Amino acid sequence: MDYSKKIQEIASKLFADNKINYFVGYKQNSFDDSQVPFLITDPAEIPKLVFTDRSVFNLANYLKPDHTKRKRVGLVVKGCDSRALNLMLTESQVKRENIYIIGICCEGVLNEKGEKAQNCVECVMPDPVVYDEMIGSPTGKREYTINADIRELATKALEERADYFESIFENCIRCNACRHSCPLCYCAKCCIDQETSTLYHGANTSSGAMHALMTWSLHLAGRCVDCRNCEKACPSHLPLHLLHKQNESVIYENFQQHLAGMEKDDRGAFYKYSLSDPDDFIL
Amino acid sequence: MARVGVFVCFCGANIAGVIDVPAVVQEAKKIKEVKISIEYKYLCSDPGQQIIREAIVQNRLTSVVVAACSPRMHEKTFRKALLDAGMNPYLLEIANIREHSSWVHQKDKKAATEKASDLIRMAVAKSIANEQLHEISVPVTKRALVIGGGIAGIQAALDIADARIPVTLVEKSPSIGGRMAQLDETFPTLDCSQCILTPKMVDVASHPYIELIPYSEVIELQGYVGNYKAKIKKKASYVDFSSCTGCGACTQKCPVKVPNEFNMNIDKRKAIYTPFPQAVPNKPVIDAEHCTMLLKGKCGICAKVCEKGSINFKMVDEVIEREIGAVVIATGYDLWDPKPYEEYGVGRYKDIITSLEFERMVSASGPTNGVPVRPSDGKVPKNVVFIKCIGSRDEAKGIEYCSKICCMYTAKHAILLHHKVPDSHAYIFYMDIRAAGKGYEEFVKRAQVETAATYLRGRVSKIYKKGDKLMVRGEDAQIGQVVEVEADLVVLATAVIAPKDNPALARLLGVSYDKYGYISEAHPKLRPVETAKAGIFLAGCTQAPKDIPDTVAQASACAAKVCGLFAGDTMKKDPMISTINNEFCSGCLNCIKVCPYQAIVTEEIPLGHGSKEIRTVAKINEGVCQGCGSCVAICRSMAISLAGFTDPQIINEIVAI
Ligand SMILES: Cc1cc2nc3c(=O)[nH]c(=O)nc-3n(C[C@H](O)[C@H](O)[C@H](O)COP(=O)(O)OP(=O)(O)OC[C@H]3O[C@@H](n4cnc5c(N)ncnc54)[C@H](O)[C@@H]3O)c2cc1C
Ligand code: SF4
Ligand code: SF4
Ligand code: SF4
Ligand code: SF4
Ligand code: SF4
Ligand code: SF4
Repeated sequence: MDYSKKIQEIASKLFADNKINYFVGYKQNSFDDSQVPFLITDPAEIPKLVFTDRSVFNLANYLKPDHTKRKRVGLVVKGCDSRALNLMLTESQVKRENIYIIGICCEGVLNEKGEKAQNCVECVMPDPVVYDEMIGSPTGKREYTINADIRELATKALEERADYFESIFENCIRCNACRHSCPLCYCAKCCIDQETSTLYHGANTSSGAMHALMTWSLHLAGRCVDCRNCEKACPSHLPLHLLHKQNESVIYENFQQHLAGMEKDDRGAFYKYSLSDPDDFIL
Repeated sequence: MARVGVFVCFCGANIAGVIDVPAVVQEAKKIKEVKISIEYKYLCSDPGQQIIREAIVQNRLTSVVVAACSPRMHEKTFRKALLDAGMNPYLLEIANIREHSSWVHQKDKKAATEKASDLIRMAVAKSIANEQLHEISVPVTKRALVIGGGIAGIQAALDIADARIPVTLVEKSPSIGGRMAQLDETFPTLDCSQCILTPKMVDVASHPYIELIPYSEVIELQGYVGNYKAKIKKKASYVDFSSCTGCGACTQKCPVKVPNEFNMNIDKRKAIYTPFPQAVPNKPVIDAEHCTMLLKGKCGICAKVCEKGSINFKMVDEVIEREIGAVVIATGYDLWDPKPYEEYGVGRYKDIITSLEFERMVSASGPTNGVPVRPSDGKVPKNVVFIKCIGSRDEAKGIEYCSKICCMYTAKHAILLHHKVPDSHAYIFYMDIRAAGKGYEEFVKRAQVETAATYLRGRVSKIYKKGDKLMVRGEDAQIGQVVEVEADLVVLATAVIAPKDNPALARLLGVSYDKYGYISEAHPKLRPVETAKAGIFLAGCTQAPKDIPDTVAQASACAAKVCGLFAGDTMKKDPMISTINNEFCSGCLNCIKVCPYQAIVTEEIPLGHGSKEIRTVAKINEGVCQGCGSCVAICRSMAISLAGFTDPQIINEIVAI
């Protein structure tokens, strides 16, 4: 999977036609074979744009907050990234007319060990769900499987499982990188930072971290698209996907096989209020 | 430093019979902010409130906890006590130790006592974080909208208008009157329905404070109590009501015949028609589905014969707007279609009819001039079988509830049959006879004695045809035997059901409805004429099956509520509502999706201080918000706060246990 040339062509054209002010893509790192997100305003930098199975990050994160409300942006998204973007659109965080989406039919990206990443092995939708221009050939939606780690956890005793999650909370340093790297954590002022939220205070205590991370994961329940941007950002290398995948599997089973961001205007399992809901409980 | 007073109520034996009240009082004394903790037999009584008032002043209390019954019962009472003692009433907190403890834990007195102490601890902790709140005052538009012109809507409109409050009455069909206009004589006194109804209909038409808008429907309602804006769609009638004199030349000459729904399709009406002779307004409308001029451009006879030139085939639907302060829903009921009763041969045998069809036949102005006849051959029936509870109390085929009126009108039908066909005989299959009501049992007795009708307790299992008769096979549970009755005519007392448009109307108005489609009242006992949405009331069968006396009583109660609402120029509103801190709002608009009262709108604010760029955030209309808290729960950014239930208050409560 190397779409670098194709992306450079599209970016040049977008700048030439004055369709965008920014372009957000990937650039080769100078010290190893990994890549970093790359935001350009100057067409002269276009040749540095790349896209391969090392283009791991979710670039939708760079649309928050309110960037596209004023500027027009060209953006590269993979399947999972496009689902997050879909949610951002539904939740009025970006203006559709201000983004030009280059959707990649993704073949999976690699982890640090050079193997196919776990989320890519389990990916339900490698094709872009929202785009202006598509690269590659779509292979369609795939069957949902419960995450391997969650399946394994389920076989363990309750205490052991609790310990597992506890180890996440204990080792968290409350740097908030996870939140900042998630495209869906765009809040004007995160609840965790609010003065009144006494539950999250006690900076580095594991109880403070537990409340913060549990709240965070619940705010992403039914919304998380498993791009694992958060996990990549975590300096403590915590397996944050466990929190999200646990929620996802429960939601999948109980909310009509709901998967986040697949459809336009879907706000996620917890945010649906249907007029056909039985309405006899308000007294 | 907070100074809290705790007052624990015995509620006679209701609380003290289970909970060790003195122990609870002692336990509360241990809380450091509690300055006084006392018990009393009935705190809601005047001496009880006096104790609270005195303690507030003497101990300079900063908040008050009353441990007693549900806040739904006496929150208002105790708030008033605080106010009288010069304290902000919202510094009160109720610990519900009756419904939440003594009543539900009667068997475990120790645990109930401990739970009561916990509840008090929580209430004390919350009360410390309570803030002074002040009632909101909103202006009112003094005009009521009544939806539905049956007897419920008519009565409500007349009573409100008599108090000199303008009313807009919107009726879906061409005439007001509703089902009552279709009835012959009415139980329990057998007075003629039309004779008591039509004077009221005429009053509606001539009342200076009533604006009658027939052949129309409400399509939109926005705003909040005291300040609603309604959009009303006037369906095209193709007749200019202002010039039409109601002479009827058009209806006479129209060549198109259509089944007459007012007469339960027993006879025919024309494509241009007035539903019945006493209709109000007494002006015809053109049924666009059948008029050949409108369908194919052929005919136009009515226009030719109309001397006033009132017919206008180019008329279109019109939408008008009214500003109103209150709404009365009075959309009445429908009747259940007995088609699922296949074993009775419903649909196959012509001589099985419904009660309302029978009602139309025995009506002097009805399609058969007051004589019941068999639809199959037009002969007058001698043996008539009435079957009650068709669809009612029938979970398998119909609905679970009792339709309430069928026992009574079936007894009435036995009498009417006896009057019209003296040598006839009525057989009535029933499950129970439910005749609770003033003069009702006597009325049923009268039917039994006067007509010698045979009452058979049991279900009918099958009806089949034998020659030109219908054989009704059922069970007589009293003798435990199968009986067969040879009938000329079978009358089914079909269940009363909610109008099928009720759910759509409820959604449009923002009120709730139950699983059957009836509009829900705010409280089944204590607020039976209000909906959960402030300023919207309900009357008649739109709430549940009812007879005319109950319908009229409820309609008058609605009128009293509307008059009460409009008593001042402004209205007081509970301050326990939500507000959005727009600095924290990220504009995801999830709150708008979940608000059941459509209280949230968007607002554009500057991106930053002095910035020309804007961002969109959510904003709550304080007049509409009912303080349900749905938006608070959904907002990830914690931008929304519900007065009286703020995060610090709730967290205090949680920490206290
Ligand atoms: C066979 C039979 C016999 C009966 N006999 C008796 C009796 O003898 N004595 C007695 O006390 N009761 C009797 N009843 C009961 C009686 O009919 C009801 O109690 C009474 O009609 C209820 O009045 P209402 O105004 O609630 O409803 P309705 O009479 O149904 O009136 C509702 C009105 O609202 C209109 N409407 C509906 N939806 C809308 C809308 N969306 N917008 C605008 N307008 C709308 C309808 O067109 C109608 O005009 C009998 C009932 C039946 C079926
Ligand atoms: S999760 Fe799917 S779309 Fe995302 S990088 Fe992996 S394979 Fe591609
Ligand atoms: S954790 Fe919740 S409140 Fe904080 S940024 Fe994410 S979604 Fe917003
Ligand atoms: S929580 Fe993590 S995996 Fe989920 S969408 Fe956000 S960054 Fe991606
Ligand atoms: S990135 Fe990792 S260490 Fe930082 S707050 Fe998130 S979980 Fe904790
Ligand atoms: S849910 Fe909260 S953040 Fe979202 S629009 Fe409403 S107030 Fe703003
Ligand atoms: S509390 Fe929120 S959801 Fe409830 S009525 Fe008020 S604005 Fe609507």
